[in-house]
Amino acid sequence: MISLKHVSKIYPPNVVGVEAISLHIKPGEFVSIVGQSGTGKSTLAKLLFAEERPTRGTIEIGGWDITNIRDHEVPLLRRQIGVVFQDFKLLQKKTVYENIAFALQVSGTPAKRIRDVVPLVLNIVNLSDKTDRYPGQLSGGEAQRVAIARSLVHQPKVLVADEPTGNLDTLNAGEILDLLKKINEFGTTVVLVTHDRDIVNRLKRRVITLDGGKIVSDVEEGRYRL
Amino acid sequence: MFLISSYRVGKFALQNFWRNFWLSVITITMLMLTLLTVNIIVVLNYVTDRAIQAVEDRVEVSVYFYATSPQTAVDNAVAYLRSISQVRNVQVITADEALTQFKDRHAGDEVITKSLEEIGNNPFGPSLVVKAKQVSDFDLILEALENPQFRDQIREKDFSNYQDIVARIKDTTQRIRMFGLALSGVFLFIAILIVFNTVRMSLFIHREEIGIMKLVGASNGFVRSPFLLEMILLSLVALVATLAIVYPSLAALEPKFGYYFGGETIGLIDYFEKNGWEIFGLQFVGLAALTLISTGLAMRKYLKV
Repeated sequence: MISLKHVSKIYPPNVVGVEAISLHIKPGEFVSIVGQSGTGKSTLAKLLFAEERPTRGTIEIGGWDITNIRDHEVPLLRRQIGVVFQDFKLLQKKTVYENIAFALQVSGTPAKRIRDVVPLVLNIVNLSDKTDRYPGQLSGGEAQRVAIARSLVHQPKVLVADEPTGNLDTLNAGEILDLLKKINEFGTTVVLVTHDRDIVNRLKRRVITLDGGKIVSDVEEGRYRL
Repeated sequence: MFLISSYRVGKFALQNFWRNFWLSVITITMLMLTLLTVNIIVVLNYVTDRAIQAVEDRVEVSVYFYATSPQTAVDNAVAYLRSISQVRNVQVITADEALTQFKDRHAGDEVITKSLEEIGNNPFGPSLVVKAKQVSDFDLILEALENPQFRDQIREKDFSNYQDIVARIKDTTQRIRMFGLALSGVFLFIAILIVFNTVRMSLFIHREEIGIMKLVGASNGFVRSPFLLEMILLSLVALVATLAIVYPSLAALEPKFGYYFGGETIGLIDYFEKNGWEIFGLQFVGLAALTLISTGLAMRKYLKV
């Protein structure tokens, strides 16, 4: 599903984001990428949804070589990869429903399909009763669930979650983790970037640990060890 | 798909327009000032052309023949002058007509009437009134009157030199035109800067929305199009507002111009009505092109999609 071969990202003048990363993630896998701040976790995530381009190496997603992806192809990639961030990235002046519908509107989806899809994803994230609320009226956990719902509208093959629990308390973080597991059970490959020890230990799934931009361990059923 | 995207691009463009209302108002004002200056130049061109034409209409050479001149000499002169392409019109006043006109002019003057009676016969010779197409052609016409076929039969040539007046009108017009063009250039430059900064500010205000649009897979065209459409919309509003100022102003000015043209209408509104599509169409195309170029430059610099 996801394949990185000798991938390095060097920022000018000579700052290493990640260095010589090689890994393979199978379809339907749930992988946690862990490490301390500044170890290249977010850079790795950005490389996956083409916000950054590698300096060296090759990246393939679903058989698509995105190493030198062209600007006009990026939107197509992003409709196949759901992305979730720590700060939710919701539009404050749009309701829950509108925030989710927005992702479909900008990609030219017909209104009828939007009316069909949005309630479905709202149901998955258990927010059907809060469609008319604005992000400011939601708890952190609810806001993150809206962001996850938005990332699901294109039925992505891969979901990249960059520190999705970073702004949440333990209870809400647990709910988000359960939601990600549920999405993974539907067949979506989940890449979770986190430095939350409890979350990683609760998951008991594959853990890739980064340090200094390099992979220092890759364990099938791992724990957070740093 | 295309229709749906177009509808949504239009919707987002209108939202940008309303959400940055005062910025839109400032941009429209600057675009309007530019268009108004351009229209002032158009009016100035038209009025000066009419003024020059009015002066040229009044310019003529009167050619007086001797009373004893044979008719063939007059006919030769008329035929020759009419064959010159620079000559607009040759009016022939016969000796009898000249006498009648003279008598009419001095109907109440007994001394002149008695003097004429004493002379007994018609002291006037035939004359010609020659009009040229352009003032500058008079030199050529005066030269033509030196033709040996009839040169010796001409008693007098009366030519008021209007060339200086026309040259002065042209000179003044040219200076005003240059000043107007410079002013248009300044307004245009300010308008471009404002459009550039409007887009920059708009991109800044919408940076979060743009970031999210990109994140969820909006195409580059979909992100850019609302800004481009907004600028076309601003240009259109500026044009309509300019029209709303230009037409009533023309209606108010036309009688005032007429006063200087001897009470005749100069056809300013007619001119704008007949050429309106061309005049305002070109202004819109030019303005839209300029705003689109400056928008494109601003997006290229500040919107990396």
